[in-house]
Amino acid sequence: MKTGEQNFHVVKNRTYVLVWVGLLILTGITVSVAGMNLGRLSISVALVIAALKSGLVLAYFMHLKYEKGLWLFKVMIPGILLLLILFIGLTFFDVAFR
Amino acid sequence: MEIHKDYIGSKIGMWLFLLSEILLFGGLFILYSVYRFKNPVAFHLAAEELNRPFGTFNTLILLTSSLTMALSISSLQKGRRPSSQIFLIATIFLGFLFLVNKYFEWIGKIHHGIFPNSPGLLERNQGEVLFYGLYYSMTGLHGLHVLVGLFILSTMLLLILKGKIDKNHFVPLENSGLYWHLVDIIWIFLFPLFYLVT
Repeated sequence: MKTGEQNFHVVKNRTYVLVWVGLLILTGITVSVAGMNLGRLSISVALVIAALKSGLVLAYFMHLKYEKGLWLFKVMIPGILLLLILFIGLTFFDVAFR
Repeated sequence: MEIHKDYIGSKIGMWLFLLSEILLFGGLFILYSVYRFKNPVAFHLAAEELNRPFGTFNTLILLTSSLTMALSISSLQKGRRPSSQIFLIATIFLGFLFLVNKYFEWIGKIHHGIFPNSPGLLERNQGEVLFYGLYYSMTGLHGLHVLVGLFILSTMLLLILKGKIDKNHFVPLENSGLYWHLVDIIWIFLFPLFYLVT
């Protein structure tokens, strides 16, 4: 890597504040949905909103959206998440059919 | 002496560590979901006892601290040292506030006789014992991460004050930020699982 090369992206403060507002809105939604007693649906709604929120944090706060050209990030991170989903899937396959 | 600095390498190393953290908490999340699957009614009853406003307030605190953390890094990247320090101090303050809230929440539960292996808890059914065991271990491990994060961020503040981290060498602050955001993400999942899904 050459010294002085600008290999990072400075995100605008406005973008960060908008992401924060988005996170607060999603929190508001998930809390009010929880008050509605949707029964079995409530866990999926809560998890979908949590996934959206962490997606926002990963993409903007953790700069994954801006790590262009780094193929390692694109392989490593989804790889680990897939591994985790696989673990959860296999565990439930085991528990449900025991 | 020339000091070798590898910006991308530092970040990849940090990400590897963060992914191992995801697997650490992932194991606990699997445990939670299996026990919830096996004891739906007990988990429902136990979760209703948790203080939802407390949890919501702590979520807002951590989300805001992530914002101030991100702003602190971008201020340093732009060479604005004073505002970077102010945002970093705000982040540390919010993290501390989170722990204070957590402390009062735990103390409240302990005063009600609900803590691991307490007589009051053991009288209840197995599912509720499991729920509170998971509640204490998962929020406890998360709280420990917040505490470690506070130490790291305080060290970063000192390094900025000493001028060891600046516009040209900000990767330690950026990596600390990554850690802080990961702790936030873990809370984003803990919050609905313990406080919202009843």
